[in-house]
Amino acid sequence: MQLAIRHLLPTYFTESATQISEIWGKDLVVEKGELIKIVAPSGNGKSSLIHFLYGMRSDYNGIISYAARNMNEFSIEDIARYRRDHISIVFQDMKLFADQTVQDNLEIKRQLNPYHPAGKIKEMAERLGIGDRLSIKCGTCSYGEQQRTAIIRSLLQPFDILLLDEPFSHLDNNNSEKAMKLVLEEAGARNAAIIFVDVERKDLFPFSRLYHL
Amino acid sequence: MALSFKPIRPLLQTGTSPWSRWFSYMGLGIGVMLLLGSIQMYINIQRLVKESNIRRNGFDFISITKTISNETMTHPEKNLFTQQDIDKIKAKPFVEDVAPLLANQFRVQLSAGRILPFKTEFFLESLNNGFIDTLPPSFSWQEGQEIIPIIFSSDFYEIYNVVFAPGQDLPQISKETALGLPVLITCYGNGKEQAFIGKIVAFSDRVNSILVPETFLSWANETFAQKTKMEASRLFIKTRDANNPDLVKFFDQEKYELNKDKTMLGRNKMIIQSILGGLGILGLIVLLLALMLFSFYLQLVVARSKDNLRLLLTLGYSPAWLSKQVSKRFLPVYILIILVALTVVQLMQWAFHHFAMYDRAELSSFIHWSVLFAALLLVSLSLFTNYRLVKKMLYRLN
Repeated sequence: MQLAIRHLLPTYFTESATQISEIWGKDLVVEKGELIKIVAPSGNGKSSLIHFLYGMRSDYNGIISYAARNMNEFSIEDIARYRRDHISIVFQDMKLFADQTVQDNLEIKRQLNPYHPAGKIKEMAERLGIGDRLSIKCGTCSYGEQQRTAIIRSLLQPFDILLLDEPFSHLDNNNSEKAMKLVLEEAGARNAAIIFVDVERKDLFPFSRLYHL
Repeated sequence: MALSFKPIRPLLQTGTSPWSRWFSYMGLGIGVMLLLGSIQMYINIQRLVKESNIRRNGFDFISITKTISNETMTHPEKNLFTQQDIDKIKAKPFVEDVAPLLANQFRVQLSAGRILPFKTEFFLESLNNGFIDTLPPSFSWQEGQEIIPIIFSSDFYEIYNVVFAPGQDLPQISKETALGLPVLITCYGNGKEQAFIGKIVAFSDRVNSILVPETFLSWANETFAQKTKMEASRLFIKTRDANNPDLVKFFDQEKYELNKDKTMLGRNKMIIQSILGGLGILGLIVLLLALMLFSFYLQLVVARSKDNLRLLLTLGYSPAWLSKQVSKRFLPVYILIILVALTVVQLMQWAFHHFAMYDRAELSSFIHWSVLFAALLLVSLSLFTNYRLVKKMLYRLN
């Protein structure tokens, strides 16, 4: 299962973006188990890239294919299966149900395609220091707690690729390290690739390839 | 492990007051009840009408005449049926056969001879044997035969016994006696006069007339009136259902007089069916309005929960699965409403059968299976339309 992009460029970007970027307008193939880091300052389309790869938007030129299938040809149900079985994500804006508890937010994702038993939620939450926040509504949690919830949520399903969009932006170094360790363990267990986008290069993520967007 | 809707349910915000929801439920309930009740009553009427016909060999027999109006009363020929009229009636799909009732064209006098001091001018008619309900083998006549077999109308017999005999100081006669009683029939015309002995061989409930064999009447008309071509003022119709609304409508259009008793049910059936049809349509409108209200409610739920539903889709929930779950939300309500409506209709049917119809055998105290089927169809239809609606909205959200 590989994810590939060919001559990818958002429709709202000019061709000049391809000259300075190592991603836009270029070809890239992501194999299982690879750790890829993409860095760029704000406004260079990091989140757009992640959304394109996750199948949330299609306002781009070029081709994104998964398992040799053009994602633009995916039906709505195909996209749902793709997200349920093959790709997971930590959104920059977390995208949690604010009125639901941390536990409910995690269970909603876990039950979709359970990779872990229900008890794993508590274990992961405790590892990331939010074990006592499980019964609290996400809307009342701090950004840091919400971000850790979003990270745990992304690890409760099977996946071949994990997309991380500035996943530690609200975490201190200590919590970032703990989260990184958990993410690497989980990705390793699935032999999954990680695409990690961030504003700057941090040495937390042991990437095998680095790209500037 | 099957995907559970339990953690998803709180994400759907209803946001409407319970009052408005209960009003929708009530509207739906009334609509369903009217519709199912109309279906059940329609079936009751069909059964009643079917069973109320006195049939012989599965056919009804009715007599028709042309309506005598002020314009036609001075032209008796206009009140006769032409061959064209008969052919037109015969061609109708609801008419199995037609036979004219032919009358005497000469003077006939009836007397009881020496038995009773009674003498009267009279009439005789003949009808195709296939149309007569009580036909004994002795009902035949050949030229030279002195005895004429007669089939006498039961109604005329009753009138004689109840009205005529007491008023004229004549004896009342039992049916058994009447069957053996010879009467003197004298035919006059064409310068001739001949007496015959008439014997009642049967009574007819169907034909209000004094019937003699066709062979006698055609011979007598030729002999005493010199007429070979006969035109009838009365026709007998053989039909599968005298209460067929099409039949009643056709004869009304042609301005033919019908035996009202026999077609009364048909006329009532038409009226009742129209009322039931109206009720059914009203039920359908109420039902449609209630279903529309539900669909608006569903749209409101989806609109209010738009962000949550969109996030569920983003997380990988299938729109088809979500549509099924969201549209199933109303299933318990629908089932409850249908069950309540069915119970009410069942109670109504029982009360109708027991109190209004006095447990008539042709009706049942229980609702007909088609009412249950209609209820089931309603639930499935509402679920399907809800599913389609939600799916369309979710696809738009994605």
